[in-house]
Amino acid sequence: MTTLIQEVEPEPDSAIKRWLVSDRGATLSAAVLFLVMWQLLTLFAPRVPTPWAVVKIMWIEVTGGDYGSVRKGEFWNHYAATLQRYAYGLAIGFTAGVLVGALIGASNIARALISDTVLVLLALPAFVWAFLTTMWFGIGWQAPVLTVAFTAFPFVAVNVAQGVRAITPDLRHMSTAFGVTPVKRFRHLILAGITGYVFAGLRFAMIVSWNGVLLSEWFNGQVGVGFRTRYWFDANRYPGFLGWVISFIIFVVALDRLVLTKLQARAFRWRKTNDELDKDLLTTVG
Amino acid sequence: MAKVTVSKLAKLFPPPIKGGDVVRAITNIDFEVDGNVFVSIVGPSGCGKSTLLNILSGVDTPTSGSVTVTEAGKPAKLGYVFQDARLLPWRSVMDNMMYVRDDASDESVANAAKYLSMVGLDHTHEMFPGQLSGGMQQRVGIARAFSVEPDLLLMDEPFSHLDAMTARSLRDHLQELWSRTRKTVLFVTHDVMEAVQLSDRIIVLAPGGVIYDDISIDLPHPRKASDPKVATLQAEILGQFENMQIPAVE
Ligand SMILES: Nc1ncnc2c1ncn2[C@@H]1O[C@H](COP(=O)(O)OP(=O)(O)OP(=O)(O)O)[C@@H](O)[C@H]1O
Ligand SMILES: [Mg+2]
Repeated sequence: MTTLIQEVEPEPDSAIKRWLVSDRGATLSAAVLFLVMWQLLTLFAPRVPTPWAVVKIMWIEVTGGDYGSVRKGEFWNHYAATLQRYAYGLAIGFTAGVLVGALIGASNIARALISDTVLVLLALPAFVWAFLTTMWFGIGWQAPVLTVAFTAFPFVAVNVAQGVRAITPDLRHMSTAFGVTPVKRFRHLILAGITGYVFAGLRFAMIVSWNGVLLSEWFNGQVGVGFRTRYWFDANRYPGFLGWVISFIIFVVALDRLVLTKLQARAFRWRKTNDELDKDLLTTVG
Repeated sequence: MAKVTVSKLAKLFPPPIKGGDVVRAITNIDFEVDGNVFVSIVGPSGCGKSTLLNILSGVDTPTSGSVTVTEAGKPAKLGYVFQDARLLPWRSVMDNMMYVRDDASDESVANAAKYLSMVGLDHTHEMFPGQLSGGMQQRVGIARAFSVEPDLLLMDEPFSHLDAMTARSLRDHLQELWSRTRKTVLFVTHDVMEAVQLSDRIIVLAPGGVIYDDISIDLPHPRKASDPKVATLQAEILGQFENMQIPAVE
């Protein structure tokens, strides 16, 4: 006897549900919820500025106008200064991280000698570097740049080391047995093998060292996002302070959502089975 | 037609624990394979089968003695199917095929596609190995080895990680590929039945890496597992194996 089982197409989720769990839907509904809670909070805590007060002052920061000493384009100047330091610091930390990570991954001796040090660095919070570099170099560009470099470095190194170790002797033997040329090996075995890990490391490094650059500027800058945040804090102007805090949170969340997560997912495409790819479309939360 | 010459080959490994004995993976082996024959190497676990293939493929070096693999006097081109598929996980199936090929011309791609098609993997070109089942990955490994059109094909227990049904169907694929191309094959296996079904000659290794026996099998290819002649021969040779006094490892 044969039983016929009716084939049932899995029913797609409703449009609203899909939108809610989609990237954009989740971000937007979270933002709205946050704004509502915030407005409610100001009813009970008068020291907390209202969303509207924050918007007003940030508008002036962006467009220029009359508010104490604010000049035109203040906002962009500070962001430009910070982003420049951030980029230099990341470039240094990333390069060092790739080199040291490759060394740890490839050599057991290097691993024995330096991997513990890297782990210690990994555990050091950014503010330690912000303090130390300010003590060493005083006021200037060095402290924020190096704070970023030091915080970014161990994240890249650890991930690259893991990537190098994912290239197993088995795969190297296979390449030897088939007589694959060194150039092809470097490109398809080594580089392609570690790319995903490099992006994963870079992503963590960028998120963590963003805190680093702001902290460092808070202590020592004359310009920059961290400096400006402190400026409003010291002036007892909470709308300005909160506005800047929100701006740098938005910056890092957008950076992660719009760029880093996507790059990492693309570079790690191969790691996923079909099921995992599906699941990932639903939950791209960092 | 590749020619394989193994003479006075020995391979020792350093002791696995400090102060232990060196491991004798292979002790003084001599044999020769000449022409388009399918040769199986059979023997219990640890008797140096993989080591032998690794030395033949240049992945490992002998402690003493020599091996040569030549094709019309020149070094032969090799294909290798491993116990596991050994694909680059971060490259698509097609890119894995192209990784071991010398040129990337359209013709070369079409050739790779032809071999994928022979193992029934037409629809997988753009997939990553992680998206394939173990049996499919192993088929990619087989297609890859055949597609370089090797003079000598080395296969190290290519079906031992698979379930019986998949292994059986891959054995049929293999026979078909082999009947069409007639490469020189060295095929390592634990499985005497498999060896009898596939090969023209079976070299039996004993623990310590010495040759224990060398059997010829004279039946036309391809052979079906269900063919009574094959079954009879399998039973007969299996019987011989049961009577063998294979020395135990010390
Ligand atoms: N890289 C190595 N270092 C040390 N010892 C090794 C190494 N490779 C193999 N051996 C030893 O050499 C012996 C032969 O190993 P080999 O892998 O060739 O056996 P095999 O016949 O292929 O076994 P199996 O059927 O289980 O695959 C074993 O005792 C093994 O422990
Ligand atoms: Mg083996």
